[in-house]
Amino acid sequence: MTWFRYFIDYFSILVLPLMIVGLPVYGLIRGVKVYEEFVEGAKEGFRVAVMIIPYLVAILFAIGMFRASGAMDFLVETLEPLLGIVGFPPEMLPMAIIRPLTGSGSAAVVADMVAAFGADSILVKMAGVMFGSTETTFYIIAVYFGAVNVKKTRHAVPAGLTADIFAMIFAVYLVQWLFGGA
Amino acid sequence: MLNYIWAGLIVAALAFAIVSDLRDGASDRFRNHAALPIALEYPEGYREEARRVPVHIRIDAETYQSFYGVDAAPDSVYAGHVLRTQAGARLFFAERAALPDPLLRIRDFSGGDALEGTLGPENAADALVATSVRFDPVRFPHLQDITRAAFDFADTAVEIAIGLVGVLALFLGLLKIAEAGGLIRQMARLVEPLLRPLFPGVPKGHPAFAMIVLNLSANVLGLGNAATPLGIKAMEELQTLNPVKDTATNPMVMLLAMNTASVQLVPPALLVAVIGLQVNELIFPIIAVTGASLAVATGTAWLLERAPLWKRSDPNARPAEPTASGEDAP
Repeated sequence: MTWFRYFIDYFSILVLPLMIVGLPVYGLIRGVKVYEEFVEGAKEGFRVAVMIIPYLVAILFAIGMFRASGAMDFLVETLEPLLGIVGFPPEMLPMAIIRPLTGSGSAAVVADMVAAFGADSILVKMAGVMFGSTETTFYIIAVYFGAVNVKKTRHAVPAGLTADIFAMIFAVYLVQWLFGGA
Repeated sequence: MLNYIWAGLIVAALAFAIVSDLRDGASDRFRNHAALPIALEYPEGYREEARRVPVHIRIDAETYQSFYGVDAAPDSVYAGHVLRTQAGARLFFAERAALPDPLLRIRDFSGGDALEGTLGPENAADALVATSVRFDPVRFPHLQDITRAAFDFADTAVEIAIGLVGVLALFLGLLKIAEAGGLIRQMARLVEPLLRPLFPGVPKGHPAFAMIVLNLSANVLGLGNAATPLGIKAMEELQTLNPVKDTATNPMVMLLAMNTASVQLVPPALLVAVIGLQVNELIFPIIAVTGASLAVATGTAWLLERAPLWKRSDPNARPAEPTASGEDAP
């Protein structure tokens, strides 16, 4: 696994400089007026960013309010007994709930778990796998659909959340299976 | 769907805040209007006429615990000062002092850096002055919290969006060069056979294919900075094929689902920052889970776009959008 990790690490370090230098050089070879084209494309950057603002404000303030209200603790309290039945560790619940909502918030949850259970614990491993294998679904929806002004998201939320829920559950069982009980 | 989740988050926040506040109120958690017995020590001597005098504040741990009904204990001594005005004497704790619960909460509620309260009558018999302090009443702190969170996060959202301007401009500029040179079209033709089954609505040789591949590759390599502009560009390409501009098409939802599954071979930098080298052990499970969840995401998107509810709202399935000039139609 180590050589693979090194390969990917180096590759991911190299790819950006190659792209940033390579594309203008490629353009020059193909006879593109590189500076003019670049500026023409870059103009869009500001417009797109501004376009995202209303979508991002809508999503983030609702999530922020929900987190500040203490609703999370209440959810954990109510769902805990149910989770015991299926063998899903209740300590993982805050992570599972917050992960699709906010990236920085879920990083804070992992940090709390490291402090509470130690970086070596199986719970932190589960949280780490959850963090690494899912994305902040609502943020992605706001940014990607916001950039093209799409308001009616149709089945995007159910599809994204289904994948998230599946990933959370699979992460728990896979880590349990790989790193043994405890 | 998003309408309901969004409204649900806001209504749930309000409901939970009110319930928590009523619970705090019923148990009188903050002892509004009651005075906490304390002792003051005047290191520079007790002077009634001085306007502002430094003090050492001593709170007896047992008194404190029974007063508030908590387990947290205060430090043995706090620095602070007394401010005497015509309206009475006010006691100030030092700014950002390490306070126990619920004093910390009372300070947060007041919004200041220093906890303050009204000083009771002082018994200046000896060096340690026995007195009491009454903090300003705390009413509906959770309601205040959610309001504050709403404002804070609205600011955060704008910061995030404006923070994207630079990378967006950089990548959109580079992509424009690639487009002008014909690279995007070539790439699209190259990867089309792979993506075609997942994006059947996109016509042959469309540049969207190239952008989708660039976006997914950036994700795989953990290049978050590059993935967002590339994904946005891919969405823009798909939007050009969309007859109803405010509604997501099937390919758009598919691309989004693939992004939320976040296929990545490199663990995210944020995770490495939080749990350190432990991450190395987790690479295999992360790749396995992320791969499986990608399959679930694409599978779910594929299934759901066939469900009656979302089939009806498919922009491409609808009859042509009635235009302004379509008024004369029967």
